[in-house]
Amino acid sequence: MNKKFGWGAANTIAVVLTLIPLLWILSLSFKTPAAILDASFWPKQWTWSNYSGILQSSQFLRPLVNSIGIGLIATIIAVVLASMAAYAVARLAFPGKQVLIGMALLIAMFPAISLVTPMFSIERALGLFNTWPGLIIPYVAFGLPLGIYILSAFFREIPWELEKAAKMDGATPFQAFTKVIAPLAAPGMVTTAILVFLFCWNEFLFAISFTSTIGARTAPAALAFFSGSSQFTSPTGPIAAAAVVITIPIIIFVLFFQRRIVAGLTSGAVKG
Amino acid sequence: MSIQSQTAVVSAAGQAPATHRRQLSEGARAERRLGWLLCAPAVIVMIAVTAYPIAYAVYLSLERYNLELPNAIKFVGLSNYAAVLSSPFWWHALIVTLIITVISVAFELVLGMLLALLMHRTIFGRNTVRTAALIPYGIVTVAAAYSWQFAWTPSTGYLSALFGNGAPLSHTGQAIGVIILAEVWKTTPFMALLLLAGLSLVPEDLQRAAKVDGATAWQRFTRITLPLMKPAILVALLFRTLDAFRIFDNIYILTQGGNNTGSVSILGYDNLFNALNLGIGSAISILIFICVAIIAVLFIKGFGTAAPGADSGRR
Amino acid sequence: MMAESDRRVHPGATAVRQRPGRTRRFRRHLVLLGGAGLVASGLAACGTSGGSGPVQLTYYLYPDTSGVTNQAVANCSAQSHGKYTISYQQLPLSADGQRQQLVRRLAAHDNTIDIMGLDVTWEAEFAQAGWLLPWTGSNKQQAESDTLKPMLQTATWKGKLYAVPDNTNTQLLWYRSDLVTTPPATWTEMINDSIKLAKEGKPHLIEIQGAQYEGATVWFNTMLASAGGSVLTPDAAHVALGTPAIKALTIMKRLASSVAADPSLDVQEENDNRLAMEAGTAAFELNYPFVYPGMKSDNPQLFKYFKWAPYPAVVAGQPAHVTIGGIDIGVSSYSRYPRYAFQAALCLRDKANQLKGATVGGVPPTIISLYSDPKLFPDYPFHADILKELENASVRPKTPLYQVLSINISHLVSPPGSISPAATEKKMASQLNIALQSKGLIP
Repeated sequence: MNKKFGWGAANTIAVVLTLIPLLWILSLSFKTPAAILDASFWPKQWTWSNYSGILQSSQFLRPLVNSIGIGLIATIIAVVLASMAAYAVARLAFPGKQVLIGMALLIAMFPAISLVTPMFSIERALGLFNTWPGLIIPYVAFGLPLGIYILSAFFREIPWELEKAAKMDGATPFQAFTKVIAPLAAPGMVTTAILVFLFCWNEFLFAISFTSTIGARTAPAALAFFSGSSQFTSPTGPIAAAAVVITIPIIIFVLFFQRRIVAGLTSGAVKG
Repeated sequence: MSIQSQTAVVSAAGQAPATHRRQLSEGARAERRLGWLLCAPAVIVMIAVTAYPIAYAVYLSLERYNLELPNAIKFVGLSNYAAVLSSPFWWHALIVTLIITVISVAFELVLGMLLALLMHRTIFGRNTVRTAALIPYGIVTVAAAYSWQFAWTPSTGYLSALFGNGAPLSHTGQAIGVIILAEVWKTTPFMALLLLAGLSLVPEDLQRAAKVDGATAWQRFTRITLPLMKPAILVALLFRTLDAFRIFDNIYILTQGGNNTGSVSILGYDNLFNALNLGIGSAISILIFICVAIIAVLFIKGFGTAAPGADSGRR
Repeated sequence: MMAESDRRVHPGATAVRQRPGRTRRFRRHLVLLGGAGLVASGLAACGTSGGSGPVQLTYYLYPDTSGVTNQAVANCSAQSHGKYTISYQQLPLSADGQRQQLVRRLAAHDNTIDIMGLDVTWEAEFAQAGWLLPWTGSNKQQAESDTLKPMLQTATWKGKLYAVPDNTNTQLLWYRSDLVTTPPATWTEMINDSIKLAKEGKPHLIEIQGAQYEGATVWFNTMLASAGGSVLTPDAAHVALGTPAIKALTIMKRLASSVAADPSLDVQEENDNRLAMEAGTAAFELNYPFVYPGMKSDNPQLFKYFKWAPYPAVVAGQPAHVTIGGIDIGVSSYSRYPRYAFQAALCLRDKANQLKGATVGGVPPTIISLYSDPKLFPDYPFHADILKELENASVRPKTPLYQVLSINISHLVSPPGSISPAATEKKMASQLNIALQSKGLIP
């Protein structure tokens, strides 16, 4: 009994610790400017004005659209390219496979800041600076290693007899891939897509480095550029509201897909 | 935690050993072509975004190149590296980065292990904990960083109020503490999930047998659980270390690197976008790249076969 | 104004100091407290214009929440008689954020920037990079006539005028007349007065910007210029400093290590100084005029004794050369409509708009004759002192590498208690020398 209580207490502490910062920003987002200055955890006066403010402002709405657009496009491209490569890795024998895997691993270790200076120069020269493709391309590149690894792990689990059967029925390797394997691989692709999208949604360094206006700036970057309505009404409330807006859907999304995400994140580790 | 560490985890997944098949040369050649064809787009994108820019950064780092002095661009050899390596700002940023890395990874490991054990052991409320643990993972780093910043802002934040209306973010040591706190909060659950996956590899019967033999819980943990989890722990450590070394978002929001709290990434960013010095900025980029490579090599040497990728790619 | 850079946010002593903006904003916001909701800007609109109708000019400026800029933009668009309309794009709140954003777009040859509000420390950099069109002919004449000389100096690079001054700012000495009957004329007197007040157990602190940011550089520059020195040689090629710098540093150190210093000097920015003065703990304050309406509304009791005087001298008998701040308006080299952009820039800073800026927005004008306009007097009882100081003002080092220099300086003079005059001067000279060769890092 005592033991059970101990675990329960530990659980409660863990849950509370994970929730507090979220609840705090949620609380801030409902505070009036005066209430923000009272330093209490819960708002004493509630207001929706922080939300109505940001949701009427192109400074926030446009970046939100950018975030969704850039995230979706980068995710789709990354998943498609990663699926192709992962299929090759999982199913085909070809020289250079080690190189591909090594390269993906290298990118996984790559310090993003090292790319900022040269990419800034390159994007400037190519006219990609402050455009959607200017962010989509690096996002795809950084999403690929994850995609390749997850998908090749998933692809190995697929019963390949089916592919063989399809080939026997006269399907080309390509047809075998699209008609038979791809549907079976869908869960893996969804998992990959979720993780890549989360990465794009979260990414900050490239987002502030390769954009200069709300034309291409994503939501997390826009948050860092909010200006308050005046020096004395600091933008705390609006920033909190915007933080909630970009966080809550993602958290719901994460919780909804939690089994899939946990599986994706740990599939490798489990199989050891 | 970045996407890179996620890759790590998955890459640690040993790839199921597959039998080598010898194929007819005709089929083999077609297969090889298809393999290359399928990989080509991914390879091209990855090279275009990493290899080429890094090569370009090396080139830029050898030039005196200030954006505001477009007529003064000239080749200066290694002098930018000399400038960086002889600057106290670089060494200070490196030390700050290392402090943040070591302390936060250590905390993450211990807390992550506790959380993993919690998730592993309890039946009651297990899902609640697991669900809650995903919140820090899912939250946008910038949003979480703002939450911490506001919490420590005098007369706004509950934490500041709790500690006598202090302003920790304007004192170097305390600010680094807050940065570590934000980092640990965000990434511990991820660490826990990785370790949880490793924990599930430890056979229950082994534990039970040890218990019957009279081993204490601590003995069982150190003698059985930890050794069996070693690969998972090392992989998690490597990638969290590299992640922490690259820390940028949290510092950018919390202090903007003020009061000597800047990491090497912040230093690189500032020298590029504030000083507009592409030469120095590139030299810093390359040095960070080298640091990361050194860390990775040290870890992989230390791991031996447990290194991610050591056994990957075979089929 | 003081171009204060907030590389460092320190969420310090009050919530207000999130990212303290420019002083003129403080004042304006006091005037218009409560103003609009966040991001009033409708903006977007990247100014492409079709073949017919007015061309669209885009004006980038700090976020002006007083409404003065919005009004000026509307007025000037109307006054162009269909030639152009101006769209006002707000830059980030911090001076650094503003500069970074402009620079990134200009470096990418963005042709949607036409007109820019430039902090007085950016002109050399922007001009040298080729991002600004020089002012010539009648535009130049109009820009220069009746305009404050030191402000024109900030807008001039290598003999050419690259921007037209819009607003300006400078610090005065604010003191409590219930504590001191005659304001101190020199720094030495002021510190002595403070020590004396401390002995009498009276409020005695001297409020000044000691935090590690642009404000500290401004303080040092004022002291150095008032001591008869400068950071760089006139050609901006070499470091000057020397004995005057040691003198300036000696006084700064003396303040920091005396009872006159605010205990939180090391983290204080302009707004903290204002709040400390309003709280009644200080006797003296070196700050911009925004503190005046602040005191009036926040502490009417103390306001009765809240007086101003010229900035104290470093060398007795020689008036101080206070660092000038403000905004110049420049035209981008990549603008597609430079002819209209120049016209619009002149309109945006014309007499009517500057007067509005001063009375509603709280920013001192750059047109000299406005200082004798009675409409200015109610809000600017100190107009004569301000003008006198502005005409005698010092300019921060004019070099494309100003940003790097300034960051180096602020790191050496703050915290002020860590100054050791001769050694600090030596270190500064060596660091600035390296910075001038593009070999310096910024922290």
